[in-house]
Amino acid sequence: MLTTCPERLAFSYLRPGSVDEALAMWAGQARPAFLAGGTDVLPRARREGGIGALIDLKRIPELDRIEQGGDGGLAIGAACTVHRVAVHPLVRERYPVLSACLSQLGSFPIRNRATLAGNICNASPCADGAPALLALEAVLELRAAGGAQRTLSIGDFFRGPGETALRPGELLCRILLPAGSAGARGSYQRLARRRAVDISSVAVLVARLAAGERRHRICLSSVAPTPLRAVEAERVLDAEEPDSVERAAELAMAACAPIDDLRGSAAYRRRMVGALLGRAVDELRSSRQTGVPV
Amino acid sequence: MSGQGYDWVGQDVERVDAVDKVTGAARYTADLKFPRLLHAAVVRSSLPHARLLHVDLGPALSVPGVKAAVCGRDVPFHVGIYLKDQTVFACDRVRYVGDPVAAVAAESPEAAAEAASRIAIDYEPLEPVFDVERGLEPDAPRVHPELGRYECVPWITPEPGTNVCNHLKVRKGDFDAALKRCAHVIENRFAVPQVQHVPLEPHVSVARVDLAGRVEIHTSAQSPFTVRHLLCACFGFKHADVRVIVPHVGGGFGGKAGINLEPIATALALRCDGRPVRVAVDRSEEFYAVVVRQGLQASLTSGVDENGRVIAQKMRYVWDCGAYGGYGVNVVRAAGYTCGGAYAFDHVQGDSIGVYTNRPIGSAYRGFGMQEIHWALESQMDAVAREIGMDPVEFRLRNCLGPGKATVTGQVLDESAGDVATCIRKVACGIGLDVDRTDPSGGGPIRRGRGMACAVKAPAMPNDAASSVILKFCEDATLELSLSGVDIGQGLRTVAAQYAAQALKLPIESVRVHNLPDTHLSPYDWQTVASRQTWATGNAVLRAAEDCKRQLLETAASALGRPADALELDAGCVRDPDSGRSVPLDRLVMGYLFEDGHAVGGPVAACAHFVPEGLLFLDPETSQSKKPVAKWTFGAQGVEISVDTRTGEIRVDRVVACYDVGKVVHPSLIRGQTFGGIVQGLGTGLMEELVLDRTSGRIANATLADYKIPSSLDAPRMEAGFLETPQADGPLGARGVGEHTMIPTPAAIANALVDACGVRVHSMPLTAEKVLAALDAREAGREGGHRGS
Ligand SMILES: Cc1cc2nc3c(=O)[nH]c(=O)nc-3n(C[C@H](O)[C@H](O)[C@H](O)COP(=O)(O)OP(=O)(O)OC[C@H]3O[C@@H](n4cnc5c(N)ncnc54)[C@H](O)[C@@H]3O)c2cc1C
Repeated sequence: MLTTCPERLAFSYLRPGSVDEALAMWAGQARPAFLAGGTDVLPRARREGGIGALIDLKRIPELDRIEQGGDGGLAIGAACTVHRVAVHPLVRERYPVLSACLSQLGSFPIRNRATLAGNICNASPCADGAPALLALEAVLELRAAGGAQRTLSIGDFFRGPGETALRPGELLCRILLPAGSAGARGSYQRLARRRAVDISSVAVLVARLAAGERRHRICLSSVAPTPLRAVEAERVLDAEEPDSVERAAELAMAACAPIDDLRGSAAYRRRMVGALLGRAVDELRSSRQTGVPV
Repeated sequence: MSGQGYDWVGQDVERVDAVDKVTGAARYTADLKFPRLLHAAVVRSSLPHARLLHVDLGPALSVPGVKAAVCGRDVPFHVGIYLKDQTVFACDRVRYVGDPVAAVAAESPEAAAEAASRIAIDYEPLEPVFDVERGLEPDAPRVHPELGRYECVPWITPEPGTNVCNHLKVRKGDFDAALKRCAHVIENRFAVPQVQHVPLEPHVSVARVDLAGRVEIHTSAQSPFTVRHLLCACFGFKHADVRVIVPHVGGGFGGKAGINLEPIATALALRCDGRPVRVAVDRSEEFYAVVVRQGLQASLTSGVDENGRVIAQKMRYVWDCGAYGGYGVNVVRAAGYTCGGAYAFDHVQGDSIGVYTNRPIGSAYRGFGMQEIHWALESQMDAVAREIGMDPVEFRLRNCLGPGKATVTGQVLDESAGDVATCIRKVACGIGLDVDRTDPSGGGPIRRGRGMACAVKAPAMPNDAASSVILKFCEDATLELSLSGVDIGQGLRTVAAQYAAQALKLPIESVRVHNLPDTHLSPYDWQTVASRQTWATGNAVLRAAEDCKRQLLETAASALGRPADALELDAGCVRDPDSGRSVPLDRLVMGYLFEDGHAVGGPVAACAHFVPEGLLFLDPETSQSKKPVAKWTFGAQGVEISVDTRTGEIRVDRVVACYDVGKVVHPSLIRGQTFGGIVQGLGTGLMEELVLDRTSGRIANATLADYKIPSSLDAPRMEAGFLETPQADGPLGARGVGEHTMIPTPAAIANALVDACGVRVHSMPLTAEKVLAALDAREAGREGGHRGS
């Protein structure tokens, strides 16, 4: 039966001032969830209910910083908004691939609200923040109640649609961009039904590191249960042979596992992985920097 | 000197409601506060087609805070504008997922939702009909077995015993004989899916029935008087006991024409002891539960002679009217008598057939069927031109209507009907279809193309549809204008003020448009639909102004001791041109007081109406009629697109529009209407479609996350030009254009796609995936050694 009802959300709202406090609050609540920008968690609460308490991370000073990491890389706090990350001078200068991907996420209002951490913790197969973090081989700093702390490579983070390697109550505190990935350039090609505020139906990032052996990174989203890297295809691009692009496209198409849904058929999406990869390489070669300016 | 500076019609005056809109002073139905308001929850069918065996309201009534619960057996009344095929709640059968079955009113939304969830419904599922092909089969389940018993206006012809809720036949000349003489015969089929209006403000209605039985409705609607009339017909109220008030409206696009949530709110309010009850739908329900635009399946056959003249044209338009045809039957009719679009076909066989299905209710939507039939017809005209090797622009010019030419109903157009040929030429030239072009993409993956399409539409309304206005002068000679046309964003208030100020030579700031229509206080207006308001209300304003002017001159005649016809209205006064003497308006508008103390005249006020003249019904067998509609508005659009042949994505780069509007009343409002229409047309052309889940019968994409309308970044560069062939019965020559602006866009894009890469897509919307499939099919055809035609 369908009923009309102006739903109301019924949950308690908690605002910790520190990470320790946030972790302790989690332990004391029934059906708790962390709240960052709320652009995923609130629509989901409205759709599915099931949340007893929201623990707001936005007022925790230690999560609200973008700073140099120990290794010369960059550390992005979990409360930093997508917009702030995308336009940050150090991000633009050293990790332009991340800027480019993030500037295509949602719209200005969404980017001003949403966080990069929330984007990946939500673990949507279409997350626009994921391809760049996969390409840059970001490292995630996680903390849990009682002082437990660990780091995890982004490559080990996504487990399935909406599923991550986070343990219950574990908090993603910082996203670390390694120094070795600085200077990578890339092209993020994204197919959607309209030009703004639409989840992608297929997205392909092709990035090339500034130096090193295995320079190429190919990351795909919206075409598998999680965002993923097409590593075999990367190696083919590294080889820089005349038919590298075609072969890389084929390998990337083989690496994905799309489904049929409202945004497109599986067959179309798979094929678009190849087409967008070609488009991305063209753009990279034409040495135009990718992405819409933020 | 006189009149100078008061030619408001044609000027970009500031919108009279601009400050209200910008500051938030404008209040919409959901903004209104009502003391002791009750909240409603509507229980809707979860099955597309089922017998309704039993509805148990008992458990709902025991929920704390519930005031009333109601279902079909409590109010077994029919409602509908043309064909009364719907009841307030489903009575013995549900016909679509979303069909209202029951409703409750409670102290809080939570209590209402809780109570609604406890109502127990027994269904016996029936085989659903999901498409018109199935619906027309002899053994198809009947969506309305009672079709023969419904009340219906005489000009709608349902076919009892079938799923056909209306069928209009156009027979002109001898199609079969003419077809035999044709050098070329070309057939095609086209399709349009159901789409949604997506107004910013979803439907909401608040009803109160006071203890004396008087009914008061606040509602987001396009037509307060039609709401009142249909509500009275439904519940048996006296019209004068029902008051319908329409606050500011956040977009209608046809979805708020006729009557919608008001009967549900009223059924509850009747049981709530004088307390107001609010019924609102959320965004998801807005997509499937109220009304949508019909789907269309079209088959066209064109017979063309050696000179590129279409001499025989067959058109079969089969409409997916969804579960109820109350309003949609008239879309079927309008599509029938307009089946030939902007063209003069001599031998015509046209059929427009409305079919019931177990889908959401098809109803009025900006264009009233015209975008859908133009999708088919304008794609066909282009395809035929290419097939016979003629330039599509030239082909259109050879076949289009114009003065002295006859429409499919045999109406011979006169000079004042508008000039489609010039629209075609201007658009072709503006978009660059007139020049010889080589593809600038030079074989790369991005192809550019240009295409055009024409548009025509008449107001589809009862022949006696009326608009009326009241003008009243205040003591200080400011003017109050009251009307019941609804300003749904198109700018009606501003336009009405322009006509009044011009006719009475007033500063525009001296006119106040009191327009939150209230059936107790404001004058009658049939509906705000059919692109009729500027034309109909504009005429009524001019007539009322004429009456006010006569009153002013008569009073001034006494004051000045001169005959009234020797005097003239001037800026702020009435003057005697011979003597140069004058009386200021503020000494006339309440009557004139002489120095000795005696008075003449009285408060100046007037009420006037406009009803179109000379309309004639269609012949029931052939639909021939010399004047089936009040007016036609013609136009055309040209588009330029880029197609990425790797992905199938279409980008619309530029659109050029030209309409013959008779008179440009307000340049920026008409540009706004045109640009808005183009973007809305582009949305339906490229991305919009309600997707049915055939297992459950539900709409699978009933959210803004899944159903996309264009964003500002999707808007192309747009240019709009207008011709001003005066409409004989138009106010200062104006005719309607609001809907026309979205009619040709999808077909023009499809035609540009053919220009860009040689493939035609026959079904809207032109998604990237479909375009790529068409490109594939062409490749496959080539490799197979034959080319598809
Ligand atoms: C209109 C609209 C358009 C959108 N468009 C896009 C788009 O184009 N591309 C795209 O990728 N996304 C899009 N989104 C989705 C969403 O905006 C993004 O995924 C966003 O980055 C989520 O961030 P947030 O801060 O709002 O997360 P929240 O909603 O606050 O949180 C998301 C999830 O992560 C958890 N979480 C948040 N922070 C942490 C943390 N530090 N540690 C552990 N768990 C945490 C929350 O508990 C929740 O489960 C859109 C959303 C909307 C409403």
